[in-house]
Amino acid sequence: MKQNTFYFLMGIIGLAEVALFWVSVVLRNPFIIVIAFILGILLIYGARVRISDRKDDERSALITQKAGARTLEVFWILFFAISLGSLVMGFATPLGIPPPPKPFPRVPHDEPNLGYFGLLQMTLLCCMAFLYIAFRVYYAKKYGEWDDDEE
Amino acid sequence: MKNNIKVYRAMHNLTQEALAHEMGVARQTILAIEKGKYDPSLDLAFKIARRFGVNIDEVFDYGEN
Repeated sequence: MKQNTFYFLMGIIGLAEVALFWVSVVLRNPFIIVIAFILGILLIYGARVRISDRKDDERSALITQKAGARTLEVFWILFFAISLGSLVMGFATPLGIPPPPKPFPRVPHDEPNLGYFGLLQMTLLCCMAFLYIAFRVYYAKKYGEWDDDEE
Repeated sequence: MKNNIKVYRAMHNLTQEALAHEMGVARQTILAIEKGKYDPSLDLAFKIARRFGVNIDEVFDYGEN
């Protein structure tokens, strides 16, 4: 499989995931998007190993490794801090602090309101992905990914 | 770490692409090594030296420090 075909496939899977997310919201069934997302990622991983015109070697592995390690170094602190904050919010309610307002008025009163938490996690994950890309670009540049040379 | 890969490539009439293919790495990796932007693993360094039929220290120069 060519690399461009792989990117095309990724785009199609991404669009399908967005559609399934919408279906999941409309049907109020979280399992649809959870299962679809896991299957989509497995499909992408499976397709990635079949790319024929891209060579993964020790240098690209080093770039991936360093970018991943740096991202984790930054984000475990952020995740931990925000989780601690969330715990405080959870434990503070009996002491008199009012609970946060409900984000979606359509949510029935008998269901736990996890909308804000999901949104917060999604925002953090997006930030993490952007930081990972930034580190990848930095290390790729450092290890000569886009250099060109006369033969 | 300095190296003489470019010289040895020229002596053996090898392109970066051809050497990369023989070593099982990307052309960008050979280019990055030649430019001193990436230090290869011992395994790759030995493979490159063996390809040119010389000792590893004839291809790679670790320097004084």
